[in-house]
Amino acid sequence: MKSLTKFATLIAASTMLVGVGAATVQAADSLYTPNLTYRTGPFAATGIPIMNGQRDYINMLNARDGGVGGVMIDFDECETSYNTNKGVECYEKTKGDAIVTQPWSTGITLQVLPRTNVDRIPILAPGYGFSPMSDGNTFAWAFNPPVSYWDGASMILNGISEGNLDNLKGKKVALLHLDHPFGKEPIPVIKALAEKHGFEFLPIPVGLKEMQNQSAQWLQIRRERPDFVVMWGWGAMNAGALTEAAKTRYPMDQFVGVWWSGHDADLEALGAKGKGYRSLSWNVPGNYPVMEDIKTHVVDAGNSMIENADEMDSTFYQRGVVMSMYLAEAIKEAQAKFGTAKINAEQMRWGLENLDISEEKLASLGMAGMTTPFSTSCSNHTGHGGAWMLRWDGEQFVQDGDMLSPDRDLIMPMEAEKAAEYAKNNAPWPGRGDLACD
Amino acid sequence: MELLYNIFVDPFIQMYEAPDFLLQVLWEGLVSGVLYALIALGFVLIFKSSRIFNFAQGIMVVFAALTLVGLHENGVPAWLAVPITLGVMYVLAVGIERVVLRPLVGQPDIILFMATIGVTLFLIGFGEFIFGGENKVMITEALGIPTGALEFEPFGGFVLIEEKDLAAVIMAVLLVIALLAFLNRTSMGRAIRALGDDHQAALSVGISLSTIWVIVWFIAGVIALATGIVWGARAGVSFALEVIAYKALPVLMLGGLESVSGAIIGGLLIGLLEKLFEIYWGQPLLGGNTETWFAFILALFVLLFRPQGLFGERIIERV
Repeated sequence: MKSLTKFATLIAASTMLVGVGAATVQAADSLYTPNLTYRTGPFAATGIPIMNGQRDYINMLNARDGGVGGVMIDFDECETSYNTNKGVECYEKTKGDAIVTQPWSTGITLQVLPRTNVDRIPILAPGYGFSPMSDGNTFAWAFNPPVSYWDGASMILNGISEGNLDNLKGKKVALLHLDHPFGKEPIPVIKALAEKHGFEFLPIPVGLKEMQNQSAQWLQIRRERPDFVVMWGWGAMNAGALTEAAKTRYPMDQFVGVWWSGHDADLEALGAKGKGYRSLSWNVPGNYPVMEDIKTHVVDAGNSMIENADEMDSTFYQRGVVMSMYLAEAIKEAQAKFGTAKINAEQMRWGLENLDISEEKLASLGMAGMTTPFSTSCSNHTGHGGAWMLRWDGEQFVQDGDMLSPDRDLIMPMEAEKAAEYAKNNAPWPGRGDLACD
Repeated sequence: MELLYNIFVDPFIQMYEAPDFLLQVLWEGLVSGVLYALIALGFVLIFKSSRIFNFAQGIMVVFAALTLVGLHENGVPAWLAVPITLGVMYVLAVGIERVVLRPLVGQPDIILFMATIGVTLFLIGFGEFIFGGENKVMITEALGIPTGALEFEPFGGFVLIEEKDLAAVIMAVLLVIALLAFLNRTSMGRAIRALGDDHQAALSVGISLSTIWVIVWFIAGVIALATGIVWGARAGVSFALEVIAYKALPVLMLGGLESVSGAIIGGLLIGLLEKLFEIYWGQPLLGGNTETWFAFILALFVLLFRPQGLFGERIIERV
């Protein structure tokens, strides 16, 4: 019966999509902000809740406020299955009227990065992408607030060393990472910090086909006995690693993941066996006023893709909400600066470069304490706000300690060096080109 | 000199010094091998009877596992969910025979292979529509599969064996025995083998192509369900399970596409060797993650000497 209902829904949804498509063509006054999603494929399990959060926040703004600055947001999705080739196709397909692109994978981000310079469309990649994108003078069209992967690596090491990396001297830190551009991102920073503070660094790659069966990786962990295992996983890799960790009885309080390795559903499957596992996060799940608005205007109105309102409480759903808040606030900044509601991609780029997510602003949006405050500038396209450790208490993620900050003194020169190297390898790289810093 | 030492001496010293760890590696390799063999069996059965390389075997694993979990989530008890899932796999087999295969009888093999890619895409879309893309937990306990662990302390160390892995191995062995008995001891099994040997000759003695295809695809569905249960019990049920089908390719290259025993021995060999290589050579010398390519290199090496695989039939074509 449920299947029949779903089939009927499919027919109805298809009909609506045709209608929406027609409306999109007609809605010349809307702002087109495509999202290159992956609701299918091996990474869908972790992608879906975040993308639902993103979509619902924008739908809430459209329903509650009539969009942003009086203009509706057309939040289109293009399915990539986390496949880089499909992602590039999606970018090409959606770039026409787009004021921003959200590539949603470090691999896709790296592929579209040079194209966005030519097409003059800003990339918004919150919490992912190539860490040196922070250097706004080199990557004028790319933005990855509120923290980069390099910041994340530094903050995780700060967390496990209790604020003093010299505490790690003589210890062994393993990095269990997806063998993919995303998974390899933190390696330079951890290597540099290992040399500086005298701890041993052991990278352990996990292939895409091995995500579900990580017995070899966990046998290596059993043999090497690292003091800490840092996980840079995504999709099915997280569930596979957590299961193996529990099976091999690796101490969960010595196992820490990046913000993409903190999916509630993966830990719920593990229950009490996952107790003590920590995940870095730049959002803290909770009952925020903004969530009530989303529930009222979107979920209760039947316009959300979530099947159960409880999903709104998850860390990933709320992170999606935060991501779309960045998008909406950048639009507001640009609208205010240029005096027009119907901004173009270049004006959106300015908005992203002058994003100011202060505590006051978060409070006014009903999101006080939900995410880290930060601001961007011409030279700083990340913001480098900070993040918290969330600890799984056996039933849910709870905040564990104060906000952590990255070691910017170490990371900044690395970003500048890698950005310069990227520009050199991709010469002639335009840098800021004709874009003023104002 | 150091490199030679690391290749030819050090791994064996490690094995000698930590025999409990070696036993654990061998056990994990055996479990992986059994799981690879299970996937490969699904491919072999269909190829054996129809010369079709079934690209959809991986997604059938996902579809079967999701159906089982989905039914249970909707209140169907596990003892009933299993036969209903088998029923769904039977309906799927009939559907594929009627809608996809029957209209393509007599077409080149590559057309039938392309058709199975179509079946894959359909099942991905249909499965995601019905069950969603989220990760689901296999109903291991409801199915009566034990979830504890057995600990041994051989040689002063320890070896940990998960009961669900043990159950997977036992289930796989029983499934293979049943399959071999079916293929070798029943008239239907002989008909499947006859069809695999020569379509025209089998048809001329009254063997029904469509009936055999339905049965074979249904058995592949049963194997898919068994595979989905044991893999799902390890790391959850999601569309990521589809990826594991690619692990069967080197098993098929090694064991031969039409040999049931080749799939089993090939799977076990690859499972054991890739784990040993990864732990004792891959991780210390190559930075790890050699499991992504080791099996293919091994299979290629075998193909150099036996193009039909270790147990495949040698095809001699005379002009």
